[in-house]
Amino acid sequence: MITQVKSPILEIHDLTVSYDQSPVLWNVDLSLPSGKLIGILGPNGAGKSTLIKAIMGLVDPSGGYVKLFDKTLEEVRSRISYVPQRESVDWNFPASVLDVVMMGTYGKLGLFKRPGKKEKELSMESLEKVGMHGFANRQISELSGGQQQRVFIARSLAQNADLYLMDEPFAGVDMATETAIFELLQEMTAAGKTVIVVHHDIYSAVNYFDWFIMLNLHLVASGPKETVMTEDLLRKTYGGKLNLLTKVSDLIRQKEFNPLKN
Amino acid sequence: MEDFLYFFTFQDPSIVFVVIGIILLGVGSAYVGTYSFLDKKALLGDAISHAILPGICLGFMLAGEKNPLFIVSGAFISGALATFLSSWLNKNTRLSEDAIIASILSIFFGFGIVLLTIIQKSGNPEMAGLNQFIFGNAIAIQESDLYIYGGLAVFIILCLTIFQKEFSLLVFNPDYGRAIGFPMGMIRVIFNILMILSVVIGIQAIGVVLMAALLITPGAAARFWTDRLGVLVILAGVFSAVSGVLGTYISFVIPQMPTGPWVVVFLSILALISFLFAPKKGVLSRYISRRIYLKKTHRDHLLKLLYKGIEADKSGLPIEEIYEAFPFQKKQSEQSIKNLAKDNFITQNQSFIELSISGKSEAKRIVRLHRLWELYLNEYMNIAPDHVHDTAEKLEHILTPEMEELLESRLNFPKLDPHQENIPRDHDEL
Amino acid sequence: MSFDQNAFLIIITAAMIAISCGLLGVFMMLRKMSMTGDAISHAVLPGIVIGFFVSGSQRGLEVIIGAGILGILATLMIDWLRRKARVQLDASIGITFTLLFAIGIILINLLAYKVDLDQECVLYGEIAYLPIDLWLTKSGLNMGPRILYLSLLNLILVTAFIILFFKELKVTSFDENFSKVIGIPAGLINLSLMSMVSYTTVSSFEAVGAILVVALLVVPPATAFLWTRKLKLLIQLTIVLGIGISIVGYYLAYLFDSSIAGMIVSVAGIAFLASALFKSKSFLSRFGTSRQPESLKKIV
Repeated sequence: MITQVKSPILEIHDLTVSYDQSPVLWNVDLSLPSGKLIGILGPNGAGKSTLIKAIMGLVDPSGGYVKLFDKTLEEVRSRISYVPQRESVDWNFPASVLDVVMMGTYGKLGLFKRPGKKEKELSMESLEKVGMHGFANRQISELSGGQQQRVFIARSLAQNADLYLMDEPFAGVDMATETAIFELLQEMTAAGKTVIVVHHDIYSAVNYFDWFIMLNLHLVASGPKETVMTEDLLRKTYGGKLNLLTKVSDLIRQKEFNPLKN
Repeated sequence: MEDFLYFFTFQDPSIVFVVIGIILLGVGSAYVGTYSFLDKKALLGDAISHAILPGICLGFMLAGEKNPLFIVSGAFISGALATFLSSWLNKNTRLSEDAIIASILSIFFGFGIVLLTIIQKSGNPEMAGLNQFIFGNAIAIQESDLYIYGGLAVFIILCLTIFQKEFSLLVFNPDYGRAIGFPMGMIRVIFNILMILSVVIGIQAIGVVLMAALLITPGAAARFWTDRLGVLVILAGVFSAVSGVLGTYISFVIPQMPTGPWVVVFLSILALISFLFAPKKGVLSRYISRRIYLKKTHRDHLLKLLYKGIEADKSGLPIEEIYEAFPFQKKQSEQSIKNLAKDNFITQNQSFIELSISGKSEAKRIVRLHRLWELYLNEYMNIAPDHVHDTAEKLEHILTPEMEELLESRLNFPKLDPHQENIPRDHDEL
Repeated sequence: MSFDQNAFLIIITAAMIAISCGLLGVFMMLRKMSMTGDAISHAVLPGIVIGFFVSGSQRGLEVIIGAGILGILATLMIDWLRRKARVQLDASIGITFTLLFAIGIILINLLAYKVDLDQECVLYGEIAYLPIDLWLTKSGLNMGPRILYLSLLNLILVTAFIILFFKELKVTSFDENFSKVIGIPAGLINLSLMSMVSYTTVSSFEAVGAILVVALLVVPPATAFLWTRKLKLLIQLTIVLGIGISIVGYYLAYLFDSSIAGMIVSVAGIAFLASALFKSKSFLSRFGTSRQPESLKKIV
């Protein structure tokens, strides 16, 4: 049920990640094709966000490695964009919508250089794509949840990357926004970009994505929709955690160090 | 030495008062502090202790002298005002808790400094006594102070002991407490009052600036030794009392030396000892248990190597071949062989190593766990056979007999692992 | 009140210190690290004392280096306690700064005869003596108050730091993970900010004391934050507040014959509490006008 692809855009090799003591992701081994809209599915606490954070180098794996465009993360950073969960920042921060979107251009600017006209135009374009150009000078603390989400996506678009990783972009947004975001993601993949999205709702997921990664502490499936959207695999994904796996995790947690670390 | 004997034989009744005082208020503060530490509100205590300075000064101005009753009341009122203001700001503005605490702390302290300098310039001869509240001077505790400070400390200790259940609920899970009908708001208010009181009495010994240490450090240090609340508060109290007495002794020997900084230094030393050497949670013991574990893994790998030799029809292996199997680990290999021989798991005959009967049984157990886990990874977690080895290599050392049984029944007592190798059972012939 | 040159010098110096602190304080507040700033300003004390002792004067570069080392040491110690000893963050901060500050006070007492520093100076500084503490060149030329130059240099360096790293400071304060992902060295930016805070503490220490530096670091930004949602405006308002409290604080201190630094902080405190009351949710919901529709929306 794990479909490996030739010349993948993203290759994850035997990735194991632990927080403090307890392993939250076991032996994930997969490869993904480019130009697809890919959904990461799984119940709460299945390790979906952790997988994305590990790909982006935000958590250190206790085993395994990740390759993007057949290179290490450092070499291709500018080609990858990340949309964190909306709740991960304090929206009381004193910044305008345009300020936040411009942050997407900082990576390519480098130290000491200030964003200029070009960056501003790019940011306005990105805002237009998410339908927020009328809000450019609004302060971010005045936005609704769905608007905040769209600002985050615009920031990511301003990076002009080839691979996009988005953590729960549909969480807490209204139906209209969800549809708008989905259409935007489709346009992006049609233009050859690859978009990987953490998603919590299986029912809408079936219609949204053409490739699925199913997680439940370990990799249950990875492959095109036709092959993995089966009742059996969904049961394995959502039908409770593996008993033995939780027992081993408990066992490891009781140790004063992590035996999975090298 | 003479000083030491004089101090610790307690011939001088004023020293007795001082020591009783410092022990009581140290224990009281540590007791309250442990709860606020567990509540992750340790820095609120810091804010309160800075914030009582203006109260002390006002109390002094009103009384015109260092009257403990006025000073305690003044300190309590300004501490209560600071606590109230920080929770009010938290509810009514969009400032973060961190900014609120830091603001309250420095504003009150700044105002306290203004009052302090005004008193200083008024030329009141009692002024010298007031400076003690900034860095503490336990030696100055007199009999009349003891009744107030000591009495309050006893009150705090009693209160916390009697309502231990309620305060644990407050720290651990206030929402649940509310759900089962406890007046959590009221309990929070009482706890805050106790906290302010403990700060008010603590400053006599340690001063407003460093009071936070008396609240935070004992609890943080004691946390390394125990997981039980009862033991935790007692231990924190002991740490605090010991440091208090030692700090007092220093200011007794060097008269111009304030007590507070020394109490903090002794507390920090106790804390450092706890962080490093406490059993189980200490840095050193974690390091040691990791070393022991690494040794065990090496031993297990050696047994497996010998077992695989038997599988390849070699009754044993020459010692050189073992060394070669673990490149750059000759020392560890030598040590493991020595230990295995001592446990009668192997026999050594002129640098030819063979498994003994008990050794075979142990080796079979490790190989069995390894291969069972490989099979589990492959069957239940969809991991390809060529990817299962590394994780199994790490987990074979920690799987318990209970887990082994579970694996066996879950996999239905399999014969072969994903690489088509035999999964050995204890009764299998070798 | 007629124009008084000494008053002018003191106010200028106080305002420069308040601006330097406020500029750094804005970012400390946005990173929710105000208490870390508090901890650092306490923790540099032993570095200052040792610096005084080694250089034999208050002017030495040793003082700044000593304090800088201690500031970074404090940051590292907090980090070590949190990661290696697994102590929770607030307790790590508390343990670190109380220990280092205590050592500083002990050193002051032990070296009392060799070091021209006393506990009062640590608490609230001596800005009133600024006009008589002059910088004399070797040829005997009077260049004016020494601390004025120190504060000016500090202000220039802090301003340069904020301007040069404005974009990095902004993005790491708002979303640290995102900044790491786009390749901005968040850890390094953080450490530089902490170093600037340590340096500013030392530079301002003689004038306002170690503890009141914290007030200038924290209170003006917090007050300004109650009034605006724009970063640029927040910074401008912090600067204006810094100047305002210095002027009002000085004259009130003159009036009551008390510590200038203490009075500046008290004025800042009154401004803060008044702003908080005026801008508070309960106040707005009772007397709110259509001027603040967004804050009302948040309450509902």
